[in-house]
Amino acid sequence: APAIAQSMPEIKWRLASSFPKSLDTIYGGGEVLAKRVAEATDGKFQIRVFAGGEIVPGLQVLDAVQNGTVECGHTVSYYYVGKDAAFGFDASMPFGANTRQQNSWLYHGGGMALLREFFAKYNILNFPCGNTGTQMGGWFRKEIKTVEDLKGLKFRIGGYAGKVMSKLGVVPQQIAGGDIYPALEKGTIDAAEWVGPYDDEKLGFNKVAPYYYYPGWWEGGPNVSVLVNKAEWEKLPKHYKAVFEAAAAEANMDMTAKYDVLNPPALKRLIGAGTQLRPFSKDIMLACYKAAQETYAEEAAVNPAFKKIFDHWSAYLAEQRSWFSVAEAGFDSFVLYGIPKK
Amino acid sequence: MYWLILLMVIVSSGNATIRYIFSNSSNAWLEVQWYLFSAVFLLCSGYTLLKNEHIRIDVVAGRLSRRAQIWIDILGTLFFLFPMALLILTLSWPMFMKSFTMMEMSSDAGGLIRWPVKLMIPLGFSLLMLQGVSELIKKVAILTGDRPDTGDHGHHHHTAADGEAA
Amino acid sequence: MTQFLIANMAPLMFGALVFFLLLGYPVAFALAANGIVFGLLGIELGLLNASLFQALPERVFGIMRNDTLLAIPFFTFMGLILERSGMAEDLLDTIGQLFGPIRGGLAYAVVFVGALLAATTGVVAASVISMGLISLPIMLRYGYDRRVATGVIAASGTLAQIIPPSLVLIIMADQLGRSVGDMYAGAFLPGLVLTALYAGYIFLVTMIKPSYAPALPLEARTLKGMALIVRSVTCLLPPLVLIFLVLGTIFLGIATPTEGGAMGASGALILALAKRKLSWSLMRQAMDTTAKLSSFVLFILVGSTVFGLVFRGVNGDLWVEHLMTGLPGGKLGFLIVVNVLMFVLAFFLDFFELAFILVPLLGPVAEKLGIDLIWFGVLLGVNMQTSFMHPPFGFALFYLRSVAPKSDYIDKVTSKLTPKITTGQIYWGAVPFVVIQVIMVGLVIAFPDLVSGGLDKGAAIDTSTIKIEVPQGEYGGSGMYGGPDNK
Ligand code: NA
Ligand code: NA
Repeated sequence: APAIAQSMPEIKWRLASSFPKSLDTIYGGGEVLAKRVAEATDGKFQIRVFAGGEIVPGLQVLDAVQNGTVECGHTVSYYYVGKDAAFGFDASMPFGANTRQQNSWLYHGGGMALLREFFAKYNILNFPCGNTGTQMGGWFRKEIKTVEDLKGLKFRIGGYAGKVMSKLGVVPQQIAGGDIYPALEKGTIDAAEWVGPYDDEKLGFNKVAPYYYYPGWWEGGPNVSVLVNKAEWEKLPKHYKAVFEAAAAEANMDMTAKYDVLNPPALKRLIGAGTQLRPFSKDIMLACYKAAQETYAEEAAVNPAFKKIFDHWSAYLAEQRSWFSVAEAGFDSFVLYGIPKK
Repeated sequence: MYWLILLMVIVSSGNATIRYIFSNSSNAWLEVQWYLFSAVFLLCSGYTLLKNEHIRIDVVAGRLSRRAQIWIDILGTLFFLFPMALLILTLSWPMFMKSFTMMEMSSDAGGLIRWPVKLMIPLGFSLLMLQGVSELIKKVAILTGDRPDTGDHGHHHHTAADGEAA
Repeated sequence: MTQFLIANMAPLMFGALVFFLLLGYPVAFALAANGIVFGLLGIELGLLNASLFQALPERVFGIMRNDTLLAIPFFTFMGLILERSGMAEDLLDTIGQLFGPIRGGLAYAVVFVGALLAATTGVVAASVISMGLISLPIMLRYGYDRRVATGVIAASGTLAQIIPPSLVLIIMADQLGRSVGDMYAGAFLPGLVLTALYAGYIFLVTMIKPSYAPALPLEARTLKGMALIVRSVTCLLPPLVLIFLVLGTIFLGIATPTEGGAMGASGALILALAKRKLSWSLMRQAMDTTAKLSSFVLFILVGSTVFGLVFRGVNGDLWVEHLMTGLPGGKLGFLIVVNVLMFVLAFFLDFFELAFILVPLLGPVAEKLGIDLIWFGVLLGVNMQTSFMHPPFGFALFYLRSVAPKSDYIDKVTSKLTPKITTGQIYWGAVPFVVIQVIMVGLVIAFPDLVSGGLDKGAAIDTSTIKIEVPQGEYGGSGMYGGPDNK
């Protein structure tokens, strides 16, 4: 019937991913979204996923969505903190939310309304579409025991975390992608961070840097977003919008689930191959925490958009933490540490 | 312009040396390298065209008559070079303006402000366009006999023997 | 008609590209124009919309911020300083004297220097350009066959991409999801074998056609005995210092591989200064030429990024994917088809596009067939090396063309009029080396140990025996079930 044909128009979108296909879990988030959308619309709404660099370079996905070069993009918003530090809140900020808190803030805690207002300046709608879970702190050639050890440490770490760390004397070095492995091998740089065991194992950093530090306090629960061009979104029929939103939510959960399944055996393989697991010491964590708070205060003083979201976000996290310290922490603490080891 | 090459070499060796000796460095100095290189290759593209150093495949074209070659150059400038340069020129201007108005910075700690390097794109392609216009005029002048022909695709510089020929 | 166009956009694009390039207008602009023409056609046919073109400045910006490309000006500048200051000539001349009595001595020297350079850089452009500048005039002076001379230089230059470090292997590792280190280890031996095969080819030439690669004429072999030894030491010292500066600083952890190129360039400047051979005019010439070379190389990338974008826009990648599905079964069948396809596509696409379009499609299929992806990556790497040497669109050939004499000139030592190098000579020179590449592909398939021999075969790890152990309550806890209290 014509009525149905009208409500089920054929729509073809391009999705520019920030990620290479080799990062199957995180790149896969875009594919899960596309597959579900197609299935739920009987193939009428098709989204083609392009890996980083295929249409635009991975770090320019936001620009491509903003311009309407592509209808949507799959990316991590902290890639764009150079445009505005407030982008970080859509993804992850140092000592910020874990995965569950990030999701609750975005879906029901008021975070999304604030971010949508912020993203509106870029003609973009953001939807959560993946989360890696807490990441690892990276690969180090030598042990980092004290805060003093951070001084002069040449660390390949990007974005806002690099800013925090430079307050402690770390030298953030954003060297060429292909140079990372040989530079780490020869000690031109001392450390490099990536994602977590499953993705890191593929890069083989364990062969050149024995110490694997945790936690990646700058990425407690980084949210991966699908960004949609506003004008294109408005053209969608109502139920396509609903389908898209539901598919993104599914991709969001799906990615975390995949990482949680894949990371433990990968970490075991790394340990079996000689990797030494090390936690950052409490002193280091405290020093980094303090440095992070300083950068927040500095940024909030000059950036009203940042301050507005930061105030809401930090108040929300304070509430969350007092709640998580009760049942969640009690339960985790017992099952993780309280059960006598055999 | 080409002095930037020397500057790049110095900056890059300096980065490595200072990082090694003083365990100190910054992303700004790493980014300076590709800022300089972008300036060199974009802003010199017109000059490279002037010196006829943009590489050609002359295996077939080399056998055509001189007149045919000049016609290919004229048509190529009109239909190959101009569309490309115009397209990228016009599309890159808004990209620069966006970066300029928001004072976009590098997303890496200590990195540089972005608009100067983004400005290199429209600037470079403008110079290329202008040189294209100049080539067009020269080639038409050769056809009309207002200008002597300087040989197979114009200039020939910097073959291995040039230093001696000069 | 419309349907035919839509279904065959990709092959039509290739066909038109061949025509556009053969017109003899600069490659960079022909590539871009081809992209724009088919982009407009694609818009007309409803395959893409105009807004896709907005990706172009972003893609150009992506090329600008690709720091790996910095190796191109660094190594070119180093090569030019060495060449213009006469140091390179001294070196090759001395090696020529050393190998003087041997037929093909200079050609062996080029292969040897090519392999050394390859161990310092992963960028073919840098390698071919610097060797073309240094060694071509000398080989011509001593009566080498022009095809042999150009072929040896272009081929030895492409060693840069198979002998680690290598841009191609890095991209391959990334696309196949394997570690760069393993890819390097796997490529090392094949790189050496190829070097040997090149030398073997020269030997063959000297046996069959001695006049193509003559020994140094008696009057050129001016040095003998002690004098030759002294001369060798003094002439070999500067390049050894440079090799140390490039390689040594990387190995000692002073410089990244990209910065190593700059270290070498600085070193060349200092050496030339020490030898009092550095003048302002020499510097200006070297910088001028480096700027123009960088511009033309980078503009080819700009042109091919226009082509590549539209190729994707008109679903050319789907066309390639379609070719791949429904291949005749079996491991060997797959390998043969893949290699033939790669070989043919290399006529049209540069290695970036090959790596980004084809490899992600092939990887999963290969893995399903139980093919080791490191081995597969190295195999494709060897095959892709031909993409640099394919007439008429091999990039190594473009680079060599750009530095080879384009008009007749007077050789400064012999004062003889030396004819220019024709593009045809460069093409014919490359052909035997393309054949060698094909042989090498066969060797890698026949003897997989060439690759896997270089890998450390850690026994498969039994994860069931491994425990993840962490210190308890590092940061404090509720203190009830574990944490600081029992630390
Ligand atoms: Na990370
Ligand atoms: Na190499």
